[in-house]
Amino acid sequence: MIPVLLIALLAWILGLFLPWWSLAIPCFVLGAWLGKSGGRSFLYGFTGIALLWLLQSLFIHVGNDGILTARIAELFSLPDPILVILITALIGGVAGGLSTLTGFFFSKTLLQKQVVG
Amino acid sequence: MASLSATIVLFIVLSISIGPAPPLGPFLNPNTGFWANAVTGDSKSQTISLDSGELRDSVRVYFDEYQIPHIFAQNDHDLYFAQGYVTARDRLWQMEFQTYAAAGRLSEFLGPRTVPYDRYQRRIGMGFAAEQALKGINKNENTREAVEAYAAGVNAWIKQLGPEDYPLEYKIMNFEPGKWTPLRSALLFKNMTYTLAGRNSDLRMSNTRAYLGDSFISEVMDLDPSWNDPTIPSGTPWNFEPLEAQKPNSNFQPSTAQDLQPFQPDPMNGSNNWAVSGSKTKSGYPILANDPHLNMTLPSIWYTLQLHSPSVNAMGVSLPGAPSVIIGFNEDIAWGTTNVGADVWDWYEIEFRDSTLAEYRYDGEWRDTEKRIEEIKVKGSETITDTVFYTHHGPVVQDFSGESMRSGIPKLHAMRWIAYEESNEVNYFLKINRAENYEDYRNALRDFKSPAQNWVFADQKDIALTVTGQYPLKWENQGRFISDGSDPLYDWQGWVPFEQIPSVKNPGRGFVSSANQDPTAPDYPYYLDDDFAPFERGKRINDRLAAMDEITGEDMRKLQLDNYSYHAAKVLPMMLETLDTDTLTGTGKESVRLLAEWNYHNDSSEIAPSIFKYWWDALYREIWSDEYNSVEAGMSWPERDQVAYLVLNRPELSWYDNRHTDEKETLEMLINRAFYRAMNNLKEEYGTMGDNWQWGNVSDTDIGHLAQLPGFGKEDLFTGGGAESVNAIRGSHGPSWRMVVELGPEIKAYGLYPGGQSGNPGSPFYDNMIDDWNAGELYPLWFIKNETVESDSVTYSLTIE
Repeated sequence: MIPVLLIALLAWILGLFLPWWSLAIPCFVLGAWLGKSGGRSFLYGFTGIALLWLLQSLFIHVGNDGILTARIAELFSLPDPILVILITALIGGVAGGLSTLTGFFFSKTLLQKQVVG
Repeated sequence: MASLSATIVLFIVLSISIGPAPPLGPFLNPNTGFWANAVTGDSKSQTISLDSGELRDSVRVYFDEYQIPHIFAQNDHDLYFAQGYVTARDRLWQMEFQTYAAAGRLSEFLGPRTVPYDRYQRRIGMGFAAEQALKGINKNENTREAVEAYAAGVNAWIKQLGPEDYPLEYKIMNFEPGKWTPLRSALLFKNMTYTLAGRNSDLRMSNTRAYLGDSFISEVMDLDPSWNDPTIPSGTPWNFEPLEAQKPNSNFQPSTAQDLQPFQPDPMNGSNNWAVSGSKTKSGYPILANDPHLNMTLPSIWYTLQLHSPSVNAMGVSLPGAPSVIIGFNEDIAWGTTNVGADVWDWYEIEFRDSTLAEYRYDGEWRDTEKRIEEIKVKGSETITDTVFYTHHGPVVQDFSGESMRSGIPKLHAMRWIAYEESNEVNYFLKINRAENYEDYRNALRDFKSPAQNWVFADQKDIALTVTGQYPLKWENQGRFISDGSDPLYDWQGWVPFEQIPSVKNPGRGFVSSANQDPTAPDYPYYLDDDFAPFERGKRINDRLAAMDEITGEDMRKLQLDNYSYHAAKVLPMMLETLDTDTLTGTGKESVRLLAEWNYHNDSSEIAPSIFKYWWDALYREIWSDEYNSVEAGMSWPERDQVAYLVLNRPELSWYDNRHTDEKETLEMLINRAFYRAMNNLKEEYGTMGDNWQWGNVSDTDIGHLAQLPGFGKEDLFTGGGAESVNAIRGSHGPSWRMVVELGPEIKAYGLYPGGQSGNPGSPFYDNMIDDWNAGELYPLWFIKNETVESDSVTYSLTIE
């Protein structure tokens, strides 16, 4: 749970002044540092970023009375505005998950090399 | 390492746009993506510091409850700078899109699919026309400074934007704001000329004459029903010696009637305006009203604001992209407009020496054409170079190269258009914003050349209306058909002098009005066009105004909402009489009952207007389809009032007979047949008769997004009115701004438009006025005479330094 929250928190802070892909940085680092297995690393990143994007977009959705989510849903022919929020969380999650996974494998490869060397 | 590659690939895929979809990463992320455009709180007052040298003094902008900015500047430079800055803040994408579209530059960010559109814009000479406008603007110090200050204001706004701040449409279409230039303001004005004076029917009329003959032209198309009540009251004397246009001896016969798609003319951009004199009002001071009918879009074409500096205090609607107030009022006067629709776009058949198009015949000699190279940049593709040949008339829009661009454009013909003239409409607006009386109004009008407008005026004592514009000096019917490009007698032979254009001041009847009808009675010595809007709206307004007394602003608001259909009142009784009702049952019988009881008002909850419209449309087709569909060429169809006149007065015409049948059809048969067709069509489209047949459903009013993005418009409004009603809502066309101004020592004004001040689809102020507009409400406009810092009406303010 702690890696998930750390990822969400760090990605949020970085996102305030860096472009959207900055979410990969905390994911990569934490995946490398705290990742125990491939599956769990992916889950950390996925859950962390999905949670962050879900909360952020929900917060905006409510504050905006759903005006924009309804329009975006219609723009992409989605039957329900909630799907806009879910897709946002899903895409963020996949980006986050792949990043932690990469971090995990990266450290593993590096570590193995060090052991072998 | 497969994982690293997969991750990199994913981030790249999320960062690029695939097909028309925006790149998903930047678009979906909550910090900088579309989510950043969702407005989640009230705007707060703030102070904005710009680079030194941008402003000469500080500017205060107060926003009221409708998000209308009231701009207070210490000099005119700062005023127009702030207008540009504030307008861009609310409407940047619209300004960009409209001018890119006008200039034929959409392909720069939309890619190859808009190349044909861009090519057309280039070939009718929009860029050339805008350069002419900028030439005019730059010759005058005041107008040059105004457009330059405005551009600097827009650019100051753009400069401080980060990608997360870009208006939503930039994120969807994946492009960035470009620099604003005075040329783009010029483009906007020439684009208005295209919107309002960008029509012609030369080729269609020539085809009509070729296929249906001179007798058809004289019997149907020349018809000018005597119901028309012209803008300038009949009997107004013309106290001047008119200039003479020299006429050729014989009619030019165009060499080819072209193969073209059948063409149904678009509804014209009609409008209403009027002013009543103090003798007819309760207050004793004039009242002015205006509702320009245009294509209604989101964001709206209009942006309301107040402009205050030591030299001016004006309020009303502006065009995003241009300095000053376009329709509005100041402390002394009010002004408004409707379109004139004069024929200022003509086609000339050109005889070229050879296929290089380098030379053409004129007045017995060979003349050189000029080349203008148009470069169309295309996103994701090579730049297209297009060479356009210009004769002294204007560009050859359609040459050998490329596919046929639009119907109504003949091949190898040159186009002559008023927009190619150097002009400075900005100066008119700067002057009318500052006008204090009738003399100032007349003086301002001299600068207004196109698109020709009926500018209505009122101050505390005078009312006036001028059919303003630069009109080519033409002989009768010149340019109605395709003209001979080699004969100087077909050239525009000069201009109607300003003092001789139709105008009226304080007429005896106590009001002036216009609704795009014929500007004058037939005794006006100049030919302006053969074809103006049908009489119905103008006649209804004049009837009502003549009958009214002790008029209030509220009466004027109601008249703007008048749904009466003169057209139905004229023809429906005769159609009902002719209809054989004995054999009718069920829906048919009920329909006749509803029609017989109907008061001819196109009210949204009535069913009768729907039945009448379907019946009339079916009758129109029954009468003309056989003639018009028998040839492939695009031809001009008769106007609604011409057909109404024929149906009522010429029951024996041979045109009623369907030329494809042996049977001899009569008008009576067509009226009966049309009724059955109307019943069937209504049932097919709306099911069995019931609330779904109500006019509000059938009239089908949508206010779409400017770039037609799904979900960004407001669909299926339940509206009343109609094409022939004063409340001229039809489809997506309608009153794009309604304004009533009560003149007097303390001027009072009301207005609103079907949209919202914000151009941001994520803002509650994007479409907030539409429902009130549809309900016929007008908002009282808060007009500040002296800058007051503390006020309940201010929701927030900006200080720009």
